[in-house]
Parts: sequence; structure tokens; C-alpha cells
Amino acid sequence: MTDNWTVVVGIKQVPDEDDVTIDPDTGTLNRAEAAAILNPPDRNALEAALQLKDEVGAEVIAFTMGPPTATPVLDLAVALGCDDAALISDMAFAGSDTWPTSLTLAYATEYFDADVGIFGEETTDSSTGQVPPGIAAHLDWAQLTYVEDLDPRPEDDQLVATRDVEGGHEVVAADLPVIVAVGYGDNEPRPAGLHRKLYAETEFEPIELDAEELGIDPDEVGLDASPTQVGGMDTADPVEREQKVVDSVEDLAAAIAEEGVV
Amino acid sequence: MPEVDVDEYKDIWVFIEEHAGEVAPVSWELLAEAKQLMDEKPDDEELVALVIGSDVDDVAEEAIARGADRVLVADDPIFEPYRADPYGKQFRELVAERKPDIALIGGTTTGRDFAGRVAVPTHAGLTADCTQLGIDDEGHLEAGRPAFGGNVVATIKCEAHRPQMATIRPGVFEPLDRDENREGEIEHVDVAVEEDETVTEVLEREVGDTADITDADRIVAAGGGVEGDLSPVERLAEALDAEVAASRKAVDEGWIQHARQVGQTGKTVRPELYVAVGISGAVQHLEGMNDSDVVVAINNDPNAPIFDHADYGIVGDLFEVCDELVAAFEDADDPQEVLA
Repeated sequence: MTDNWTVVVGIKQVPDEDDVTIDPDTGTLNRAEAAAILNPPDRNALEAALQLKDEVGAEVIAFTMGPPTATPVLDLAVALGCDDAALISDMAFAGSDTWPTSLTLAYATEYFDADVGIFGEETTDSSTGQVPPGIAAHLDWAQLTYVEDLDPRPEDDQLVATRDVEGGHEVVAADLPVIVAVGYGDNEPRPAGLHRKLYAETEFEPIELDAEELGIDPDEVGLDASPTQVGGMDTADPVEREQKVVDSVEDLAAAIAEEGVV
Repeated sequence: MPEVDVDEYKDIWVFIEEHAGEVAPVSWELLAEAKQLMDEKPDDEELVALVIGSDVDDVAEEAIARGADRVLVADDPIFEPYRADPYGKQFRELVAERKPDIALIGGTTTGRDFAGRVAVPTHAGLTADCTQLGIDDEGHLEAGRPAFGGNVVATIKCEAHRPQMATIRPGVFEPLDRDENREGEIEHVDVAVEEDETVTEVLEREVGDTADITDADRIVAAGGGVEGDLSPVERLAEALDAEVAASRKAVDEGWIQHARQVGQTGKTVRPELYVAVGISGAVQHLEGMNDSDVVVAINNDPNAPIFDHADYGIVGDLFEVCDELVAAFEDADDPQEVLA
């Protein structure tokens, strides 16, 4: 039986979706001007990790892979109750697709000797959902995705999860170590405590790790190690609609009936 | 990265997702689309359905009837229900042995769990949630996925690695009808996994509502505006003989299950009538319902973007509007009567 679980939680800074605008003339995206926020599904990952801390006394370490400007998400993680947090940053990581990203996060998970790695379901800036299963595959660990609830069983070295499956739920027991992806919105994230918030803002300094410290060969990561490339971007054609706003329910019912679709 | 001789890789594989003999409809949609892609492939290549499960002979036969040239069947109790680790190991062994050029997987929760797991050890290029597929002049897969809420479609390629993998959003492509006269080969493969190697165990599985909104002729969809009360949407759906669907907001709030989510990370629907109730019209949602014939919007915010993407809109309290609409349709046995 593993004493005192170590839980790592991977988080990411993303542009605020509501803030990303599109230049109507050029069709290009203004991402740079959008506010940088914590990837919303990561709030649920942090909450799931902190619940394990409450339930089995796990040590929780948050990490993020990104530029040095991403440290505010680590401050937030510490304010919420994480014991420590690390910035994983290296120019060698630039341009990584999900393959080298999940490799890097797998190395980081091993670096902290984690029993459990918890991640959000997906990031809102790329929404692939591929990274958590990818980490599990790199490590050859069990994986639990679309998790709604976790039930730690330290006496059996197991983590039991209730998962969302198409049209229902399943309960799965995974042997440690395990990678978890928490379903977006599937728990109620706690607010930051005042003391912890103060600590995060004033005293806390994140651990800094680069490729070498994680034992990563720079040739394994970055753009050149990414199997996929973006071949092009096309603007989607807008769909023509009538855009008639009617004044009464009677008119609406009549319009629907006239279309012959009921 | 290891050098890969891409010319060694042949055939298109489609992962047939099945649970206890029940096949996820997206599997047949993918077979149909893959059959189109085969026109761009050399004549000696095959369209291969991959069936992993327990007691799946019927599924294998249906795969032939739905367009597969060959079905690879890994049939063992270890594969029921689905678990990422045994499915992943089986897939990895098959890819190493047979070297498929392209592998397509449905973008369901199970499909995404599986694809993410298997793409890594095979060093495949994996594109998520595609809505368009093509093959370029050099024979590479072009996987189109909506980006930034559907305002742009990004084409992703994987030129130096194989297999080229993609998950595809359910509801985008039309399945082929079953043709029992179609011929193909069913091949049982060696089972590569043993139970004592697995690291997960499914303790309970409860799947009740497997309604498929991608098939619906009429849909009434709930958004954040319903504030947790789905009853007006359900009443309107019943009056219109429609399926209930939802925006991501309503799903994330836990008001309705994910299988009914429309849009990015949900499903693509193309009903004759789509009624958006209390849905603001975020681009991520529009992307999943823009192919509907007639779109109706009900929202209390006159500036909600959904009105720009609707044929008919009404500004008002959705609870009142829904109930009045129900009354209007119920009073009229023949819907045409509401015109009178």
C-alpha cells in the first residue's frame, strides 16, 4: 500500500474565449488581446485533487507547461490549496502538438513521483481532450477520463471513479498509478481561502523546471517532434437565415406551421 | 522522432464502437465516409472495420453490409465492457503488425478516450473532432476541424507519421443503408491481452438513455436560459414530437446528459426544425446546428447572437413562450390550422 499519495494536477493558461474576437475584414483572430485565464475545466481538476487531499491527506502539486507569463495560474492553484506548484518552461517545447505535450507532462508527472495525475477534460483553446489519455499512454498507466466523481481507496492502492459514458455512467476501479481527466463542470470548485491567497500573492514562488531537469531530450519535443501540422485555415461560410423576429407566439406558431416542419 | 516509411502503410481502418452488441451510430457514418475516401486510394487498398468486443459476430457481419471490405475481429470477454488499457494494447499490436495508413474513430466519450490512448504508442498524428475529411494529391489525409468556435476550419495533416488518425464528430456524415448482398472478409485476429495485465476493472455500468439526437427530424434545445428547469423545453418537444437537446452550458450545469449536447465537443445535428430555447448562440453551439433546415430562437435578450442565426425569433420569457406555443400546437390537431 502506498503511504501518503502524491497527486499532481496539470493546468493551463488559455485566452478567455469570450474575449477572442475576429477581424471581420481579414478573418484573423485577435487572440493576443484576449485576457489570459485558467482553462475553465482545470478548475474542476484542481477541485478533484484538493478533495483527495481532504480525504486521504494527499500532497497536491500543480504544474503548468507554458511561458513564464503563465505563473498566475500557479498562484491561483496555491491560493486554492495546492501544496506547491511548478512552471515547466523551455524554448524546446515551442510548437508542440498533443504528442510531445503529453510526453512532457508524463515526464513531469514522473518527476514528482506521483501516484495520481489529474487534468481537466480538455483545454478551451484547442479542445482535443487527447492529452490526459496521451500521458497515461506514455507512462503505460491506467486512465480514467470524463470523471464525475472520485472515491480513493488507499487500502487497495486503487482509485475508483464514476465516469460519464454515452447515455449513462460507469464505475471503474483503477490500480495506482493513474491519470484522471475530470469532466468539465462535474464538481463545485471551492473558493480560495484568504490566508492561502495572501501567501500565494506575497511569499509563494513556483518551482521552475526545464527540459533538461525533467530528463527530456529536446529532439523529443517541440514543433519538429509533432506528428500533426496545420495545413491551412479556411473561413467557414456563413449560413443564410431569414432573421425574422416576430411579435407574438401566434405569429411564431404560424411561421413554423407554414414551413411545413411540424 | 523515429523515421517512418509512409509507403509501407496501407488501407483505411474504421473503429467500430460497440457496447454489449449495440453499435454507436457514428461507426457506420465513418464507414460510409471512408468508402468515399477509398476512391482516392490505390486499388489494392482495403476499407477495414475493426471490431473489438465480446460475441461480436453480428456486428462484424453488419460492418460488411455497411461498406467494409474486411473486418478484423478481436473477440474475447476481456473486451466487454470497453476499457482503455486492453483495447489500447490490442490496437497497438494490430497497428504494428498490419500498418494501416488511416484510422478513423468516432468522437464519442469512448472514442476520444480510446483515440488519445492509442495514438501515442503508435506515434500517430491524431486530429480531434473533425467534420471534414479528404485526401490530398500526395495521398495524405486532410482532416478538417472547426477551430475558434467554427469561424474557421483548420486542415490538419500528418505527412511524416503513420497511421494518420482522426476522431470525427457524430452526426456529420450519413451512414450507408445495410446491403446484405455486399461481400467482404471477416478475419478473427489473435487476442493480444490477458486479464492479469489489465489495470482497471469496471464495477458497474448503467446505460439507459441512448437516444440519438443526430437522427432527429425535430429538435428543441435548452440553453443556460432555462436555469435548470427543463420542463418547458420537454413540453414543447413533446408537442412537436421532437428530441430534447442542449447547449454546452446546460450540460456543464448538469441539467442534461452529455449525449444530448449539440456543438463543438458535442454532436452535429441537421433536423428539419431546430428550436433554440434560452440559448445565446455561442459560435461553438452554432457549429453543431447550422445545417438545420429551419431554426427558431426563443430568448429574452433581443441582442442574443442566436437571432442572427435563426429564421424566426421571438423575444420573450421562454417559460411563457414555450407554454403558449405548446397550447397553440395542441389546440390544432392539424398544425396547418394555426394559420387560420
